[in-house]
Amino acid sequence: MLKTLIRRELLDNLMTFRFAAVLLITLLLVVANTVVLIQDYEQRLESYNDAVKMHQQVLHNSKTYSTAYLDVDRAPNPLSIFNVGLDKRLGNLVGIYHGFMPTLWDARMHGTDNPFIAFFSSIDIVFVFEVILSLMGLIFAYDAIAGERERGTLRLVLAQPIGRGQILLAKYISAMACLLVPLILSLLFALLLLTRSMPLSTADFLRIAGIVLTSFAYLSLFYLIGLLISVATRRTGTALMLAMFVWGFLILVYPNLIRATVKPDGDIQARVKTAHNQIQQILDEYERERQKFLEKEGIAEEMSEFSKALGFYHQADVNPVTLTTYIESISVLSEIRPDFEKYVPVAKRYYNFVEPLATRTVEKAWRIRKQALDEIYVKQATTDRILLKLSPVGIYDAATQAWAGTDLSGLRDFFEAARRYRNIIIDYLYAKDAFASREWFVADKGTVDWRTLPQFTFQRSDVGINAKRALPDLFLLLLINLIFFTIIFLIFVRSEV
Amino acid sequence: MWHIAKRELYDNLNSLRFALATVLLLALMLTNTVLYLREHPKRIQAYHNAAAGAVKTLEGRSASLYRLATEGPGDLHKAPSLLRFCAEGDEAFLPTRVSGANYARRIADRTPIWRMGYPQETPNLRNIRPDFTTLDWAFIVGYVLSFVAILFTFDAISGELERGTLRLTLANAIPRHTVLMGKFLGVFISINIPFTIVVLMNLILISTSDAVQLNPEAWGRLGILYGIIILYICLFIALGLLISAAVRESGMSLVVLLLIWVSFVVFMPNTLASIGSRTSVPIAYEEFWTQRIRLADAAREAYRDKYGDSQITPSVHVLAEYVTTEAEEHERYNASYLKQQIEQGKRARAITRISPAAIVQRLFESFAGTGFERHLQFVENVQRYAREYREFVVDTDRADSESLHVIGIQEGMSQKPVNPEAIPKFKDRLSLSKDFNTAAMDLLLLVLFLVVLVSGAYLAFVRLEI
Repeated sequence: MLKTLIRRELLDNLMTFRFAAVLLITLLLVVANTVVLIQDYEQRLESYNDAVKMHQQVLHNSKTYSTAYLDVDRAPNPLSIFNVGLDKRLGNLVGIYHGFMPTLWDARMHGTDNPFIAFFSSIDIVFVFEVILSLMGLIFAYDAIAGERERGTLRLVLAQPIGRGQILLAKYISAMACLLVPLILSLLFALLLLTRSMPLSTADFLRIAGIVLTSFAYLSLFYLIGLLISVATRRTGTALMLAMFVWGFLILVYPNLIRATVKPDGDIQARVKTAHNQIQQILDEYERERQKFLEKEGIAEEMSEFSKALGFYHQADVNPVTLTTYIESISVLSEIRPDFEKYVPVAKRYYNFVEPLATRTVEKAWRIRKQALDEIYVKQATTDRILLKLSPVGIYDAATQAWAGTDLSGLRDFFEAARRYRNIIIDYLYAKDAFASREWFVADKGTVDWRTLPQFTFQRSDVGINAKRALPDLFLLLLINLIFFTIIFLIFVRSEV
Repeated sequence: MWHIAKRELYDNLNSLRFALATVLLLALMLTNTVLYLREHPKRIQAYHNAAAGAVKTLEGRSASLYRLATEGPGDLHKAPSLLRFCAEGDEAFLPTRVSGANYARRIADRTPIWRMGYPQETPNLRNIRPDFTTLDWAFIVGYVLSFVAILFTFDAISGELERGTLRLTLANAIPRHTVLMGKFLGVFISINIPFTIVVLMNLILISTSDAVQLNPEAWGRLGILYGIIILYICLFIALGLLISAAVRESGMSLVVLLLIWVSFVVFMPNTLASIGSRTSVPIAYEEFWTQRIRLADAAREAYRDKYGDSQITPSVHVLAEYVTTEAEEHERYNASYLKQQIEQGKRARAITRISPAAIVQRLFESFAGTGFERHLQFVENVQRYAREYREFVVDTDRADSESLHVIGIQEGMSQKPVNPEAIPKFKDRLSLSKDFNTAAMDLLLLVLFLVVLVSGAYLAFVRLEI
């Protein structure tokens, strides 16, 4: 009996104008946007490749260790086509330096974008789905029960020996089967275009499968919202109006409303200030140690002479907004004058003492900074996202970002890797005894050989980790689905026909 | 006709959609007011501080004309718009200043002359909070009000057709176009009632707050914006009536309308802009940067080759030639890159004109004094000021008979102090006539859309079989 019902509903749905219209528009939007997005991705990839080449060049041009400029770049994420998340917005290159801890707050952009077109956000596939799938779900559902009730066919169906739950189930299954057609078809087209122009790994296909699954749950939720409205109202006209306003509120209004009204905590500045002072103290301590060393070596009084001999530049600072802490000491001379040669042993000892100290100092400062940044900026962003999750769009967006790896965690992975790479570089410097070498500050007797330097690599996180980040939201969506279905069932069972 | 309009109006006023639309618009406008009143005083304060600081720096250089000639006017700031609650535009992404400073390296052993630079800004670089659209009038009208208009009209004709009441109405001796006009008016008034109320509420709250003073010009601009809103609402009502008459079945007409709305309002502006921006891509920023350094190096090299090792000391005129040429070349190069960027911005915007929502967004930006066109006006203002400033330096120098009149070289210029009051100060102004010029095309397009849709609706309704 369920089969008959499903067949009837399926035919009813498939042969409608709305099905054809929705199918057409979804295909059109997804394909058109995919083409645009692929071009955009290719452009970003090209810019990334250029940047990598340029940064390699810059590094190989530096002759001493202390003047070396080592920047690592973040490649664009191919899955940003599905959900761009923070992939395009946050900095995509960051310096690697032993006197500095790279974070996403210190990252810069290679190829600064044109500010005059920044306003037009790129529409990713998930955004198309966010708008279209939800609309589709509601349009298919609003008259599912209310319409039959109006036409009186509901009474006829219920006259048969069928449970009410079965009717609901049949409606749900057949509508979802119909709605899946545009979803799957448009995704297949998108994948066809994607695989032609960029290599996707097996892991990427799994991630995409995750996105599809989440889209399915999202679609189903909106169908159920529509069904709930349909069950609860007597007239299709009312059901339709309610459904449309619910859509307008959940998709158009709520995400913007809530994000605009949430005000950053008032005491952010106080918190930043405290952390700033703490880090400043650490830097002061570093400076004291450094001065102590200079006095011990007996060059504290001759500092200006010493600086001149080495073309010496030293700076230790903490940024009052982003709390970026760095300690830089650079020698910019290409050769050392013969009468300054006497300073070379001291300089070697100096750098061998100060650079490891700087390394430890910034690591100590990092612990304070990390906590402060987490408390100020990350907490704020997390609160925003939790509030957004009061609308299904927020959950869907968060989950698909997590699958694609363009969410905050995905991007922080890169900076995690950059910090690991920094450790590798420091180990390398120790292994080469670079701090105590003449090549640290001057290149007159041999230049640094950069060929043996370990290369930076960044692999996007494992699918397992993506899943771990996305599944809570996916489960949340499924849970809400289940709750809605139960409520609909309860209302429908008790409603008079 | 009034009878039909009145009937339609009563029908709508008692409906669920009217109540829901009112609540939605009210919530949006209230948020808009609160946010504006929270943010705007801060913005104004920041601008005043920056502008006052710039004037102070400038007047601090009045001790010598040479300093004024080489160090330049400093940072020139863009004045924030009073009507930012109407349209935020891409204000958040645009630079708020142009710099006129001599940040280059020394040339010909002299301090370089100032040049205009157009700083790049990436305000979102560290922003990890989720994206959102500002709830300005442009959003409330462009998205929400057009959506509401569709919900009010989709069954205006098809619904009556289905219920059979249209036949009854037409059985009376009323011409069809009167019926159509009546319906049009009815819907128009019923959308306008809640909207006008919330707009008035918004304006009353803003104008009575101490933090903001709306001047007569601002009220004029608001009046124009209101007119544009009326046009835009009419456009969507006409579209709704057209589809409603053409499709005959209200369920179907809603689907068609929603899909048209989604494509034209939500997707087209962004997708088309991405496509349009590809037709004119500026050179990469790194490329620009490297070329600029190459340019600067070449100028310095040229001097070194000629005078670096030789014993001849170049005359002040020769030195001035090097110094000014370098600054001019540099400035021209900066301007040419800016031009490329602007060209891309224009291309991206031109193609979005297919969508009425994008047109309205542009019109809102133009008349609210925000966004892209406003930024172009700011750049123009700055460039005009730069000419004025340079003329001032030359004229002041010319007035001193002891001076050699060689601008940019210390010993060649007037040594007398300058009256700080006399130095021209940068004032960023908006001109309503210019705004009209930039908006004319968009206004015409909007009217054209409206005419096409109204006549479409008329034809569809007149030929409708009942």
